[in-house]
Amino acid sequence: MKSFLSLLIAIIAINTNLIAAEAGMPQLDPTYWASQAFWLILVFAILYISISRFYLPKIKDNLDNRENKIKEDIENANKFKEQSEAKVKEYAVILENAKKEVSKIHLDSKNILDKDIQAKKESIEKDIEKEILKAQKEISDLKKNSLSSIQSISGSVVSNIIENISGDKLNESSIRAIVEDISKKNMSKYL
Amino acid sequence: MASNPMQQFTVHRIGPEIKIAGVDLSFTNASLFMVISATTIILFLFLGSKEKKIIPNKLQLIAEMFYTFVAKMISDTAGSKAKPYFPFIFSLFMFVLFCNMVGMLPYSFTVTSHIIVTLIMALFIFIAVTIIGFIKHGFKYLSIFVPSGVPAVLLPLITIIEIISYLSRPVSLSVRLFANMMAGHTMLKVFGGFVVSLGILGGWLPLGFSVALTGLEILVAFLQAYVFAILTCIYLNDALNLHH
Repeated sequence: MKSFLSLLIAIIAINTNLIAAEAGMPQLDPTYWASQAFWLILVFAILYISISRFYLPKIKDNLDNRENKIKEDIENANKFKEQSEAKVKEYAVILENAKKEVSKIHLDSKNILDKDIQAKKESIEKDIEKEILKAQKEISDLKKNSLSSIQSISGSVVSNIIENISGDKLNESSIRAIVEDISKKNMSKYL
Repeated sequence: MASNPMQQFTVHRIGPEIKIAGVDLSFTNASLFMVISATTIILFLFLGSKEKKIIPNKLQLIAEMFYTFVAKMISDTAGSKAKPYFPFIFSLFMFVLFCNMVGMLPYSFTVTSHIIVTLIMALFIFIAVTIIGFIKHGFKYLSIFVPSGVPAVLLPLITIIEIISYLSRPVSLSVRLFANMMAGHTMLKVFGGFVVSLGILGGWLPLGFSVALTGLEILVAFLQAYVFAILTCIYLNDALNLHH
């Protein structure tokens, strides 16, 4: 490593000596100054003219176009967004109205149905009452009828039984009176 | 000897000698690389602006990036009044940048490493800015040498310093670019010479340095073009917006 470093230093020394020996900057040699100035001005003038006339306007145009396009697109997007928001609002209103209508229809039909049911119920109840009254009347009629027929049947049965057992023929009216008497007494038991 | 690091800066004639009124205006290797740089710029801009696409291709994108980069640089430093000078500053930036970058190619010539080239550009800028200043503000432009808010005792001294600093602008502008370019290329050449003279055994270290320096020089090439352009913008700003 030491030998390497010393070698490096030696080389640097030689090189710097060379620089020192051949010192002199070509930049300070005025032979071609006029030529350099002339060509610099010429080349730069051509470059400047072509850049300012052709290329910069083109690039600027392109950049402006892009910016306008982006602006336009953003504007359109905003417009569409507004439109969609308006539509959403409209939709919400429609939905609200529809809901109201539905509940109204629901209420109306419920009322109508209720009324209908009420009316039908009432008429049916009336009919039922009538039927019940009729049936009650029939039952009471049947009761009355059955009582008198039972009395006559039991009277004839009794007279027959007595006739068959004793051979006597009893007065029917007295038998009936007794049967009536008994049946009145025991009426509550059967009816 | 080929390892002389200054040899790369020599200018020699290419083709016939052109003499106009006793002045040698021959086409030299310096002229050739000016033409190459300018042609490269024009070709690049032509390809970059040929297709006007909404979604740009790579070249178009790079051309547009250069455009917006320079446009932003000008509007940031010199404001909206400097808009008419945008093509000039754009051309200047592109020319210096491409000359620097073309100079980074092996066996090429760095146009901007010559003091005469940078001095002419700097002098042109200096004179143009001074004329613009006088046209825009008349003799009030001289108030640039008299800063406001300075005590009366110090005013003569400050004014002299301001005048000197104003007059040294073209020198500092040109020498900065020239010296940076020359120093970088000389250094690269010196390290390249070490690689050759140390041979296969010891040449690896300077080779590594050479590679690293090449990267640094590419950065310097861009940076010096940027500095040259932005200083032009700052001088222009002084001439356009008098705020002393």
